[in-house]
Amino acid sequence: MDIFNLIFSFLYQFGDAFAFLVLSACGLAVIFGMMGVINLAHGEFIMCGAYVSTSAVHAGLPLPLAIVAGAVAAGIAGMIVELLVIRPLYQRPLDTIVATWGISMIVTQGTLIVLGPSMQGVGTPFGSFTMGGYSYSVYRVILMIAAIGTLALLWLMFTRTRFGLLSRATIQVPHVAEAMGVNTNLIYSVTFGLGAGLAGLAGGLYAPTMTLVPTMGASFMVEAFVTVVVGGADIFLGTAPAAAILGVIKAALTGWQGQLAGQIGLLIAVIIVIRILPRGISGKILKERA
Amino acid sequence: MSILETRKLNKHFGGLHVTGNVDFTLQTGEMHCLIGPNGAGKSTFFRLILGEHQPDSGQILLAGEDITRAKSFQRIRKGISVKFQVPGIFKELSTRQNLVIALQHHVPAGMLREEVDRLLEFLKLSGDQAQLAGNLSHGQKQWLEIGMAIALKPRLLLLDEPTAGMTPDETHATGEMLHRLNAEGMTVLAVEHDMAFVRQIAHRVTVLHLGKVFAQGSIDDITADPRVARIYLGEVDA
Amino acid sequence: MAEQSRLRAALRLVEGPQTIGRGPRFWAGFLVVLACACAYPMFADSYDVGNNVYFFNWLFMAMGLSLIWGYGGSLSFGQTAFFGVAGYCYGVLTINLGDAYGLTLLSLVLAVGFSAVFAAVLGYFLFFGRINGVFLGIVSLSVTLVLERFMAQTAGPQWAIGSARLNGFNGMGGMPSLTIPWPGGDIVLFPDLPLYYLTLALLVVVYLALRMLVNSRFGNVLVAIRENPQRAEMLGYDIRKFQLGGFVIGSALAGLSGVLYTSWGNYITPASMGMTAAALPIVWVAVGGRSDLTTTLVGTLAVLIVFQMLTIHGSQYALVVMGILLVLTVLVAPRGIVMGIVDAAGRLTRRKEVR
Repeated sequence: MDIFNLIFSFLYQFGDAFAFLVLSACGLAVIFGMMGVINLAHGEFIMCGAYVSTSAVHAGLPLPLAIVAGAVAAGIAGMIVELLVIRPLYQRPLDTIVATWGISMIVTQGTLIVLGPSMQGVGTPFGSFTMGGYSYSVYRVILMIAAIGTLALLWLMFTRTRFGLLSRATIQVPHVAEAMGVNTNLIYSVTFGLGAGLAGLAGGLYAPTMTLVPTMGASFMVEAFVTVVVGGADIFLGTAPAAAILGVIKAALTGWQGQLAGQIGLLIAVIIVIRILPRGISGKILKERA
Repeated sequence: MSILETRKLNKHFGGLHVTGNVDFTLQTGEMHCLIGPNGAGKSTFFRLILGEHQPDSGQILLAGEDITRAKSFQRIRKGISVKFQVPGIFKELSTRQNLVIALQHHVPAGMLREEVDRLLEFLKLSGDQAQLAGNLSHGQKQWLEIGMAIALKPRLLLLDEPTAGMTPDETHATGEMLHRLNAEGMTVLAVEHDMAFVRQIAHRVTVLHLGKVFAQGSIDDITADPRVARIYLGEVDA
Repeated sequence: MAEQSRLRAALRLVEGPQTIGRGPRFWAGFLVVLACACAYPMFADSYDVGNNVYFFNWLFMAMGLSLIWGYGGSLSFGQTAFFGVAGYCYGVLTINLGDAYGLTLLSLVLAVGFSAVFAAVLGYFLFFGRINGVFLGIVSLSVTLVLERFMAQTAGPQWAIGSARLNGFNGMGGMPSLTIPWPGGDIVLFPDLPLYYLTLALLVVVYLALRMLVNSRFGNVLVAIRENPQRAEMLGYDIRKFQLGGFVIGSALAGLSGVLYTSWGNYITPASMGMTAAALPIVWVAVGGRSDLTTTLVGTLAVLIVFQMLTIHGSQYALVVMGILLVLTVLVAPRGIVMGIVDAAGRLTRRKEVR
């Protein structure tokens, strides 16, 4: 019985870590995988999702709808940013990183000025359940399901829809796609919006579990970066397995030494991984297959 | 005496064999051209020699020394040098600076200025030495990169389509320059499509097709071989 | 004789293809600026002078980033990690060793050395793993963010090294200032005239030394790697070693900034390694013109002063302005604003000469 509880506890920890890694990274990975752009304002899109969904709950919207509203708001914000700042910089990926950092500074500080140092949260819903004397949060389990659901939806979107087909064609051979009449500008814009929307979704989903402050995005950044670096450019072959592997490391270290040890462990893992697999897991898999 | 030898060199990406059991020998002092239709594995073969790809199996020997596991820069130091197909130059640096970087590795500080001047003269780039290399004409960029490659005084010079985009006059002049360098003892291996140029420089020609050595011989043998003509028309499978 | 000529050859490298500014006119201007900087304390309150050393403290980190990013082409977003590590290291060492016998100077050297070793270990994994620009940036940023979070939770009394309490989020204080042992009474470098002149001297030395470095063979290879790493390798250079070398030197300079800052304010906090702190060096260097030491120096100083004025007059808007400045620089003057002005001036004078 004790063994069972131990295993369940570890699985719960793992699922929690996995969900956090997947949700915080997939928006970053979509944009990076498709456009080669590392969006340093990623954390601010997460913050945007969290703030909008929380405000929506305060305004009386039910939580699931509020989360969707947060994601949509972040997605729209992403498309605006893409249009104004990212589009002129397609040929200069390194400059894009620097520019998105500028946006991050503007948004973080702007939010502080306009909305103040913190926003009242909504509290974690659904309470908790106990098993073998330990209590677990129901909402965290929902987050795990949400992470898997998000991956499934993205899979369907990229493999079964016209947008998915066109966008994959656009990454692989942009000029051919263009010659075939694909509006690559539109594809990039929608992709960036999608990535920002996913970030907003992560923000909305985690908003009930965190303190809402303008700098909250930064607390997602390390996990998101690490997952994308380990995973490489492909979200399904990279981000998801990376999140699974890193989830084990994080869960084990967090269970053993606490939150911070988990994070330091992740960072050390990533530094070692890049020494072995410079292009991440998906780079390795794709190289084997190509 | 062979300067370069590959033994059963294999490289595949997934299921596709890009080079399959390539046994290839290059004699010291030879000028040798590699030809073959697109996708024949010429570029991959070059990358294997340069160490940009690791072979799945097989060996690469430079003057008898096994360099299969050596890093790219180590192979260069052992006497290989390369000119890429797309001019690989330092665009934002001056033409002179490009050559300084190529030469400073083995030329002592006191002689550097003289050596750079001599090389600029040789390449007919003295007048443009202050220009950013990115602003040179396409032919001049090709020459500059050839200059950087020969600045290392290599034993073996690899050229990937050295005359692509050159005018016929420039192509001919390049050929003459290669003959001069060859006379001084440099072995040359070039991937080339321009048959007139191949005829101008090559002692021997190797045809690669589907990752395998398909035919080898003098340019006259090769052009007289009906099977070679057919692979260019896509009629032979292997 | 041979040594003398070698020295002369090294000194000649202060001018070269990799640095803007040559000839008597440039150096005359340089001397005028230097003379103004030396004379400034005569016309100002010594309290202000001490405060303004603050600006100098950051310039070392900025020049180091210019070396790594502008010359070497590797984006490091985490220079603050080395700043913070060296700052904390200086604090821990001096609190334990005290300030007698020039031990603070030893601590300075050890702290900078420690940050260099840290950079060497991290850089080994990055460059020998052949990490490209994007990943290098985010890994280094992750490192500094994790360090910030680590230091922020060191609040309890169990987090102490010797007699130095790390003090978590509030930061570590109470370390002695740099002190020069002197017969007849040590000179304590409080934010005052002696510190001003010492920092200025250090700045001039580092600036000139870096100019020589980037115009040397090492610098040639560094810019070659920035322009075309494949070609550089195919000229026989082990590019990983050069990248690592540049990274370690640049990071040690960030460490030097960290020590000077800590000694200047007797204070260091985890926030000095946070997201905002990490962004600021990028702003200074990008706005000035990262690919040249002089434009970096001028740009950094200008941005720092503007930032300070904004903080005084409209505190909270300063960071927003910095963000806008960064975005606009990237969009409008990708080579940097100071560099843009230099280019424009160069074009004007050249046109005149043609006429």
